[in-house]
Amino acid sequence: MRFLAALGAAVLAALASIGRFSMFIAHTFARAVRRPFYAAAFGKALLQIGFFSLPVVGLTALFTGGALALQIYAGGSRFSAEAVVPQIVAIGVVRELGPVLVGLMVAARVTSSIAAELATMKVTEQIDALHTLSTDPMQYLTVPRVFAATLVVPLLVAVGDTIGIFGGYLISTLRLDFNPASYLQNTVDFLEMRDIISSLVKGAVFGTIAALVGCYYGLNSDRGAIGVGVATKGAVVAASVLILAANFVLTEAFFST
Amino acid sequence: MISVTDLHLSFGQNAVLRGVDLEIAQGESLVIIGGSGSGKSVLIKTILGLLTPDEGQVTINGTPRTAAFMSSIGMLFQGAALFDSLPVWQNVAFRDLRGPKRQDARAHAVKVLAEVGLGPDVADKYPGELSGGMQKRVGLARAIAADPDVLFFDEPTTGLDPMMAGVINALIRRVATDRGATAITITHDMASMHAIADRVAMIHEGRIHWQGTLAELETSDDPHLRQFTSGGADGPIQPHW
Ligand SMILES: Nc1ncnc2c1ncn2[C@@H]1O[C@H](COP(=O)(O)OP(=O)(O)O)[C@@H](O)[C@H]1O
Ligand SMILES: [Mg+2]
Repeated sequence: MRFLAALGAAVLAALASIGRFSMFIAHTFARAVRRPFYAAAFGKALLQIGFFSLPVVGLTALFTGGALALQIYAGGSRFSAEAVVPQIVAIGVVRELGPVLVGLMVAARVTSSIAAELATMKVTEQIDALHTLSTDPMQYLTVPRVFAATLVVPLLVAVGDTIGIFGGYLISTLRLDFNPASYLQNTVDFLEMRDIISSLVKGAVFGTIAALVGCYYGLNSDRGAIGVGVATKGAVVAASVLILAANFVLTEAFFST
Repeated sequence: MISVTDLHLSFGQNAVLRGVDLEIAQGESLVIIGGSGSGKSVLIKTILGLLTPDEGQVTINGTPRTAAFMSSIGMLFQGAALFDSLPVWQNVAFRDLRGPKRQDARAHAVKVLAEVGLGPDVADKYPGELSGGMQKRVGLARAIAADPDVLFFDEPTTGLDPMMAGVINALIRRVATDRGATAITITHDMASMHAIADRVAMIHEGRIHWQGTLAELETSDDPHLRQFTSGGADGPIQPHW
């Protein structure tokens, strides 16, 4: 009985937070179409989310592309199918690994810093101060960050895809004796428009999730330094899980036929 | 006129406001005193609508507070609450950064900073580079910058040296008298209270325990009030540490 009650309470709490997060999303989009638009905040967010994520995205993609090529070569050689390395690297990186890795890196880098920044603003009463200056915190803080992430994360994914493929190319040509020109030719021939579009759409969705979750946890943080820590941790975990879940749904939608 | 009627607000088990009734007339300077943790900051945040009361209401000239109320007020937070991502001048002129006054925003900020005793060199610094007392004064500048009708100051002189406290007291007095603004000031600083107040309200155990003019305060024999204004551990208020 007690177990059922606890279970019921947990389910209700989960439903309540889903409800609150949905309301938060609805509020964000309602404000996104309303003036004023804070262009300076938007520009800053573009730089912070996009430009400053480039190194970590590049390194992650490079190493993963290289490792992927080695594994496909090793696995393929058991069926005498080593030659498929360029094609499978291309598909694997563009359809899945590129967007997922970039999404997770953005969750680690961007969601955490947004959550910590906004939670600190909440704790130090800067959010209250915005209200007293007739400024809607959602409009001033959330909308520019979500817009920027939605726009710029697909670009990061494009960069990650390219560098990931390049990582596979480097390993294949330097270590596995592939012919450089035909490796690239195989990659280009094999990729379809649908692969690239799915990659960019995933990037846009993951970017939106990363920024929304960071803002939500930050603006709803509890008081004190502990509140900031809890909000940051919660945001990164929630964003990562949501990104992986969204990835599955999008893969299903794009490629299940 | 701001009317507060039967305001109740609890945080979990902690019943902070337990039936606050208070009227603040237009153009008067009201000072709110009370022990730390007695709910002074919570009271003015509830008046502003930053906190939602469990019971009771706040009306402005007889009607419920609207969104437009915020454009006629200025608030200095206890911890200053400056935006640390913006330089000082953008904090001060925050309301002017967008809109028709954009061009003059910086010059206006420098002028208001001078009123709180800060030089133009402070304008381009970031809040994190300032001392606590300087941050407080920037917060004060931000509160008065747009010439609001109603001003809320949460411990404006805490963290200031006595001389600077005197400057700030005179400034608050001037804002209330010359500009005809309503000023609501929370303070623990008795010198500041005497310099600023038309009227004093003491909050104790979640209610307005005493209110009256400075002259009435001098002659009151209310033991709580006496103990608070003269200091000391003897009296009905039990300090808990
Ligand atoms: N946002 C909040 N959440 C929970 N408790 C709060 C909050 N704000 C204030 N309190 C509590 O309310 C009480 C009154 O606080 P406050 O109004 O800040 O006191 P003071 O009179 O010193 O300004 C304190 O016990 C404080 O811990
Ligand atoms: Mg206080």
